[in-house]
Amino acid sequence: MGLWDSFLNWLRSLFFKQEMELSLIGLQNAGKTSLVNVVATGGYSEDMIPTVGFNMRKVTKGNVTIKLWDLGGQPRFRSMWERYCRAVSAIVYVVDAADCDNLATSKSELHDLLSKPSLSGIPLLVLGNKIDKPEALSKQALTDQMNLESITDREVCCFMISCKNSTHIDSVIEWLVKHSKSKT
Amino acid sequence: MAQPYLKKDDDRDDEAEYSPFMGIEKGAVLQEAKVFNDPQLDPRRCSQVITKLLYLLNQGETFTKVEATGVFFAVTKLFQSKDIGLRRMVYLIIKELSPSAEEVIIVTSSLMKDMNSKTDMYRANAIRVLCRIIDGTLLTQIERYLKQAIVDKNPVVASAALVSGIHLLQTNPEIVRRWSNEVQEAVQSRAALVQFHSLALLHQIRQNDRLAVSKLVTSLTKGTVRSPLAQCLLIRYTSQVIREAGPNTQTADRPFFDYLDGCLRHKAEMVIFEAARAITELTGVTNRELTPAITVLQLFLSSSKPVLRFAAVRTLNKVAMTHPMAVTNCNIDMESLISDQNRSIATLAITTLLKTGNESSVDRLMKQITNFMSDIADEFKIVVVEAIRTLCLKFPLKYRSLMNFLSNILREEGGFEYKKAIVDSIVILIRDIPDAKESGLFHLCEFIEDCEFTYLSTQILHFLGNEGPKTADPSKYIRYIYNRVILENATVRSSAVSTLAKFGAMVDSLKPRIFILLKRCLFDSDDEVRDRATLYLNTIGCDGSVGETDNDMKDFLFGSLDVPLANLETSLRNYELSEEPFNIDSVPKEVKSQPLAEKKAPSKKPTGLGAPPSGPTSNLDAYEKTLSSIPEFSSFGKLFKSLAPVELTEAETEYAVNVVKHIYDGHVVFQYNCTNTIPEQLLENVTVIVDASEAEDFSEASSKPLRSLPYDSPGQTFVAFEKSDGAAIGKFTNTLKFIVKEVDPTNGEAEEDGVDDEYQLEDLEVVAADYMLKVGVSNFRNAWESMDPECERVDEYGLGVRESLAEAVGAVVNILGMQPCEGTETVPSNSRSHTCLLSGVFIGNVKVLVRLSFGIDGPKQVAMKLAVRSEDQSVSDAIHEIIASG
Repeated sequence: MGLWDSFLNWLRSLFFKQEMELSLIGLQNAGKTSLVNVVATGGYSEDMIPTVGFNMRKVTKGNVTIKLWDLGGQPRFRSMWERYCRAVSAIVYVVDAADCDNLATSKSELHDLLSKPSLSGIPLLVLGNKIDKPEALSKQALTDQMNLESITDREVCCFMISCKNSTHIDSVIEWLVKHSKSKT
Repeated sequence: MAQPYLKKDDDRDDEAEYSPFMGIEKGAVLQEAKVFNDPQLDPRRCSQVITKLLYLLNQGETFTKVEATGVFFAVTKLFQSKDIGLRRMVYLIIKELSPSAEEVIIVTSSLMKDMNSKTDMYRANAIRVLCRIIDGTLLTQIERYLKQAIVDKNPVVASAALVSGIHLLQTNPEIVRRWSNEVQEAVQSRAALVQFHSLALLHQIRQNDRLAVSKLVTSLTKGTVRSPLAQCLLIRYTSQVIREAGPNTQTADRPFFDYLDGCLRHKAEMVIFEAARAITELTGVTNRELTPAITVLQLFLSSSKPVLRFAAVRTLNKVAMTHPMAVTNCNIDMESLISDQNRSIATLAITTLLKTGNESSVDRLMKQITNFMSDIADEFKIVVVEAIRTLCLKFPLKYRSLMNFLSNILREEGGFEYKKAIVDSIVILIRDIPDAKESGLFHLCEFIEDCEFTYLSTQILHFLGNEGPKTADPSKYIRYIYNRVILENATVRSSAVSTLAKFGAMVDSLKPRIFILLKRCLFDSDDEVRDRATLYLNTIGCDGSVGETDNDMKDFLFGSLDVPLANLETSLRNYELSEEPFNIDSVPKEVKSQPLAEKKAPSKKPTGLGAPPSGPTSNLDAYEKTLSSIPEFSSFGKLFKSLAPVELTEAETEYAVNVVKHIYDGHVVFQYNCTNTIPEQLLENVTVIVDASEAEDFSEASSKPLRSLPYDSPGQTFVAFEKSDGAAIGKFTNTLKFIVKEVDPTNGEAEEDGVDDEYQLEDLEVVAADYMLKVGVSNFRNAWESMDPECERVDEYGLGVRESLAEAVGAVVNILGMQPCEGTETVPSNSRSHTCLLSGVFIGNVKVLVRLSFGIDGPKQVAMKLAVRSEDQSVSDAIHEIIASG
C-alpha cells in the first residue's frame, strides 16, 4: 500500500508541479537576500546592498516552485510586511544570531506581526543566521530570547544556519518542500 | 450586450461603435482587482483589470486612500509575472495611482532590477517609473545606470532616461547637470526622438546661462540636427537667443536669421511652420524679413491638411495686428477659408480679414459673416464681435452696417459673455462715433426690454442715464426705463430709478413727469428701490429751486466717488465696530492716479461699460506712495509721470545706482536707487550731489539723504528740483557722496569711524519726452476734429539725410515720446511718403495730437510736415520747439 502511494505521488509530481509562496522577513542586514541567493543559486556574496522594497524570486526545487517575496528590513518597510505575508504557505523570519543588540527589536517586530489576524495559522520558520560568527547564539538561546515558546497558535520551527558557509540550508529547503506538500 | 442593442434604436448617431469601457463602475472594478492576489495569475485578465482602473482614473474617478493603497499593494504582487504586456500595465498603474512616498518606495528594488534587465521594454519603462518615485539619495545610487541609459543604443531606453532627466532637473538639478556629456552625445543620435529629448534636456540644463544657450544654438544651427521635432525646438531656442540679443543691430542682419530663413525650405512642414512663426514673432521684424515667412504661410492656407490651414491662419491673424499690410497678399486665400468646414479656421480667417480689409470690402465681408455666425460657438462669436468693434473704430464711416450687424446678433440667442461682448462693443462705438449714438442707444433700449442678464441691464441703464439726456429727444427713452421699474427684479428696478433721476436732473422739461414716476416708485416692495426714489425726489426737488444746488445735485448724480473704493470699504468696516458717526471725509483719499494709470495702458483692449475701473497697475502707484510719504515732496502736487529707471553705473561696480525721474507740474524729483555691493562696507549719510550748471531752468529745492546703506539692501536718496513751467530740459552731473565704514566680516559690526568718500556717477538728462505721457486715442480722426482748429500749429522741417523713412519716423516719435495711433508707426517698405499719427498728454494734463507727414527723395533727404493740435496753444508751440531744437 505504502509503495503504491509513493508511486502515485511520483506519478502526480510528474504531471502536477506544486507551488508555494513564502515571504522572507526580518530586520535589515539579517541576511534575507543572501538566503534567497543561496537557495536559488548557491552563490554567496559579502557585498550586498540593502533591499529597497522587495525582490520577487521564483525558485524551483524538485517539483516545487517556490515564490519568494524577499522584503526589505528597514524600519520604513516593516509596516508593509503584513501585506506580503497574507495567504503565503509559510513566513520565514530571519534573525541575525550574532547581533545581540537588535534581538529585542527583532522579537517585538515578530510578535507584532504574528498578532495580525490576517496571518493567523500560517506556519513560521525562524532562522538564526550567521552561525559562522563566533559570537552567534545557540539555538536554545535564540529560542528563549525570541520567546518562540509562547507562540502556540501555529506551527513554529527554528533552524540555525549560515548563508556564508551554506550550513543547514538543505534542512531549510527540506522543511519548506515538506510544507508545500502539506499545504496543497 | 442587451443594453447597447436597445440604445441603438433610439440613438442612431451612436451606432458606429461602442466604447469597450461602457458601464465600468468603480466598486466592481475594485472587486475584480482581487485577481491580482490569485496564486495562479492570469496575465491577460490582470491587464484588463488594470486597463479598467486606468480608465477610471483618467475619467477623474478618485480612489480613497484605503482603496488606492489596497490596489497599489495588490499590483506590486504582479511583479512575479514575467508577462511583458502585464508588466507595462503595472508600470503605468503605479505612475497613475501615485501612492504616497512611503508606500511607493516598496517597488524601488523591483524597478531597479528591471532597469538593468535584458528586456529593453522593461528598461525604458522602469526608468520612467523609477525617476518618478525616487528621492535624491537613491538617485545618486542609480545615477550610473541612468547615464548609461542616456547613451543606450536603444532609442526607447535613451528617450526614457532623457525625459526622466527633464523631470528630475526640477528636483535634483545638481545631479542631472552632471550628465551633460552623455546628453551632448545623445544629441548626435540618429533616432529622431532621442535627438529631440536630448536637445530639450540640454537646453534645460543650460537655460539659466545665456551664453551657454547661445553657444548651444550656434553650434547646432550648423546642421547636425536632423529630427524635425528637434529642429522645431532649436528654432524656438534660436528665437529666444535672438530676442535676448536685443535690438542692438537695427540695420545689420540679425544673427541666426539665415538659419530661420533656411528652415523655411525644410522638407518637414512642422519645421517650416515653426520657422515662419518664429520670424513673424521677431521683435521689430522688418517687411523684408517677413515676406518669405508670409509666403510659406500663404501656401499652407491652401493645404489639404486642416491643421496646417489652422496654424497658418492663426499665425497670420497675429501678424495682422502688427503688420496688416504684410498679410493683405493672403486675403484671397483667406476669403476662401470662410467656408472652411473647420469653424475655428473660418473664424480666424474672418477676423484676420476684418483686420486687414479695407473700407470697400467691409460690406461684402459683413454679408459673409452673417451667414456664418449662426453655426459657430459663442467663444468664436466673441472673437468676431471684437474684430468687428476694432474694424468699426478703424472705419467710422461704416458704422451703420456694423452697428446693424451688432444689433441683429444682440437679438439672437447667446450666453452672457457673448452678449456682454456685444453690449460692450456697442457702448464703445457710441462713445467714439458720435453719429452712432442715437441708433446705438436705441438698440440697447430694445435689448433691455428682453434681457435675462441683470448685470447687463443695470450697466445699460447706467449708461443710458449718462448718455440719454444729452440726445436730441430724451423723452423717448423714458418708456424703456420705466418699463424696467414695472417688470424687472429689484436690482434692475433700483438702477432704473437712478437712471430716471438722471434724466430728471438733466432735462428740465421732463422733470415734472419724472417726478410723478419716481413718486410711484415709493410704493415699491423693495427697500433699496424705495430708498433711492426718496433720495432722488429730495435731491432733484420739485420746487423748481435750481441755482447753486443744481451743480451739487449733478455732481451727486453723475460725479464719481472721489475716494478709492478699497479705502471706503476699509473705513466702513471700521465704522461698523465703532460708535462714532460715519464721515465720508475721513476716508483716506490718497489720491491714486487712476485716470492716469488707465491712460498709461493704451494697448489694453478697450473696455466697455461693464469694465471695473482698472486699478492703477503700474509702478506709478508705488512711486506715488513713496513720494507722498516724504514731507518735503508732498507739496509738489500730483505726480504726472515717473520714468523707467536709468542706470548711472556700469554693471558690477562697487556701488550700483540707477535713477528714476519723477515729473511734477512745477518740480522734478530724482530718485536714486543705490545698492552697496561690498560686504565689508557700510555706507552712511549717502547723498547725490547734483551739478545743474547745464540746466538753467532748474534750481535745487530740497534733498533727502539716505541714513545708512548696508551691504546688498537697496536704499533710496532723493533730490528735488524746482523748474520753470513747461518742458524744461537740461543735463545734470551726479556724484555719490557718503561716509564709508569698514565692516568686520566675522561679526558684521561696523567700525566707529568712517571716511568721507565720493563716487562719480554718469550724467543724467531731462528731455522733452519726459513731459509727455503716451496716451492713445482709439479714433484719431474724431479726436482730431473735436480739437479746436484755432490751437493748430503747422510747420515744415528738413530732417537731412536719413537711412530710411522708417528710421526717420522712429526718431521723431522717440523725441516726442508720444503714442503712435492706428499702427501708423510702421512704414510700408519702399514707400516714398508716410503719415504718422501720434497722441499723448503733455504736462499740465493737456491732450496733444500730432499729425506727421514725411516725404523722402532720391538722395534720402527727408522732409517733414508737423501739424499739432492741443487743448492749449502754448503746448502746440512747445511741441514745435521740441522738434526744432531736437
